[in-house]
Amino acid sequence: MNTTDEVFPKQTGKSYALVELMPGSGPMVGKGPEDTVFSFPIVLLIEGILFLGVTLVVFIFSLVKQAPLDAIANPLITADPAKAPWYFVGLQELLEHMHPLLAGILAPTSLILFLLAIPYIDHARENAGVWFTSVRGRRIAILSAVYTVIVMPVFILLDNAYSLRELLRNSAPVWVAQGLLPALIIALILMIPLTVLRMSKANRREVMICLFTVTLMAAIIFTLSGFFLRGPGFKMYPPWAMPNNYNPIDGL
Amino acid sequence: MSESIKPSRKITDSRIWRSFFRHGWPDNPLDRSLTMTSNVFFHLHPVKVSRKSLAWSYSFGLGVISVILFLVLVFTGVLLMFYYVPSIERAYPAMNTIQLSVPMGQFTRNMHRWSAHLMVLAVVLHMVRVFYTGAYKPPREFNWVVGVVLLLFTLGASFTGYLLPWDQLSYWAITVGSNIAGYAPVVGSTVREMLLGGQEVGQDALIRFYTLHIALLPVLMVVAMSVHLWRVRKDGGLAVNHNEHNG
Ligand code: HEM
Repeated sequence: MNTTDEVFPKQTGKSYALVELMPGSGPMVGKGPEDTVFSFPIVLLIEGILFLGVTLVVFIFSLVKQAPLDAIANPLITADPAKAPWYFVGLQELLEHMHPLLAGILAPTSLILFLLAIPYIDHARENAGVWFTSVRGRRIAILSAVYTVIVMPVFILLDNAYSLRELLRNSAPVWVAQGLLPALIIALILMIPLTVLRMSKANRREVMICLFTVTLMAAIIFTLSGFFLRGPGFKMYPPWAMPNNYNPIDGL
Repeated sequence: MSESIKPSRKITDSRIWRSFFRHGWPDNPLDRSLTMTSNVFFHLHPVKVSRKSLAWSYSFGLGVISVILFLVLVFTGVLLMFYYVPSIERAYPAMNTIQLSVPMGQFTRNMHRWSAHLMVLAVVLHMVRVFYTGAYKPPREFNWVVGVVLLLFTLGASFTGYLLPWDQLSYWAITVGSNIAGYAPVVGSTVREMLLGGQEVGQDALIRFYTLHIALLPVLMVVAMSVHLWRVRKDGGLAVNHNEHNG
């Protein structure tokens, strides 16, 4: 008799086993094999089709639009406007409205910390995997988006027309005009929907939906503004009246 | 007739073939399962997935699209590396060579650039969909954190690549971008100097960005993506599975 047979005896007539029931649930609990499909070949096939689709889109795009190549880099001639890549141009736009410490450091740092914190603040398991969690959740998302799409452009345009920095140049120190005041304005913009949610006894998921939506829409609006509305000198122009034939798309 | 074995069977029954593939032709449940579990590439998938998690309207395939774009970027990036030289004298002429005299050079560069932009977009949209479906809830908190790290790596890879053509566009974009890091109190100028290898965007910055772009960040991304995908499987597939409402 070899060792394998000793460990796994073939025929013992034994019809019992030593088992223990553990509390808690595993990832597969409540998920029978019903309504499942084999990954091979079905999932691989879907991924293959997706692969062909994505590469086809990039392929066609690359046939019609050339990647830009400007003149050779010259540290002595500043490009005008000098713009960050599009995914950072929102930050550059933010820098126009407040102190660099606030816009360049505190804003991105708090954004990342907020993202990291989301699952640890909202850890209720209910309705994970359901878009917007509930009908109310969807309403909160839509209202937060609409609110931000109205408030943020107003902030950008007002601050551009009557710059806090210029208005308070002689009456307040820089840290008030460019630090405290803009920070208070941003805080106020966030507090308004949060107060409404608090009064309607929103749960943590709903608060997260509101905060995430406001942040996302603000990021999009700042990016669009920095990308399309800023021309030479990073000054604001209507896109149809850009001086020097400047076309932001050329810099993609 | 039964005497003559099909020639293909001779190959697939051979000792060499069997040492490569430990499963038979996947036309039955057992071999289909083994196809997934005994192959390192497919092992990132579970053997079976629920129909719900395949619904387009749930994930929009954005995570998979991010992986695909990453693969396209690696492929086209390696092709570009055959010609590119990370020197401030030679980088720009190399770009011209790639565009003007390398067969398919301009096209390869286009593919690389547009995939890079698309990947940033796809990763952000993937995060947005994961957020709104509440798919970060337990037990997936950690995978969300891995995701945020992946987002930062993706931005980092895109940003470091932006400098490499060494034209006015890239030079000033990186100058503006890295100035932002300089605003941090106390450590700002040190961080900026560490990134650029000096006070200004120059040769030292170029070689740092190049190394980050072609070596460090891609390797870190492959590792983080492997953990991310493995973790999706370990967390029981997509979050949609746990819910009755999506049936
Ligand atoms: C390079 C970047 C990334 C890649 C390649 C990637 C890839 C994937 C893939 C292939 C899936 C499977 C489902 C699907 O396709 O949607 C997935 C799921 C997931 N991803 Fe990502 N991802 C990336 C970035 C992120 C980011 C930025 C986050 C969030 C901050 C994130 C969080 C998650 C979570 C929580 C899941 C599970 C979703 C569910 O259960 O429904 N990922 N990821």
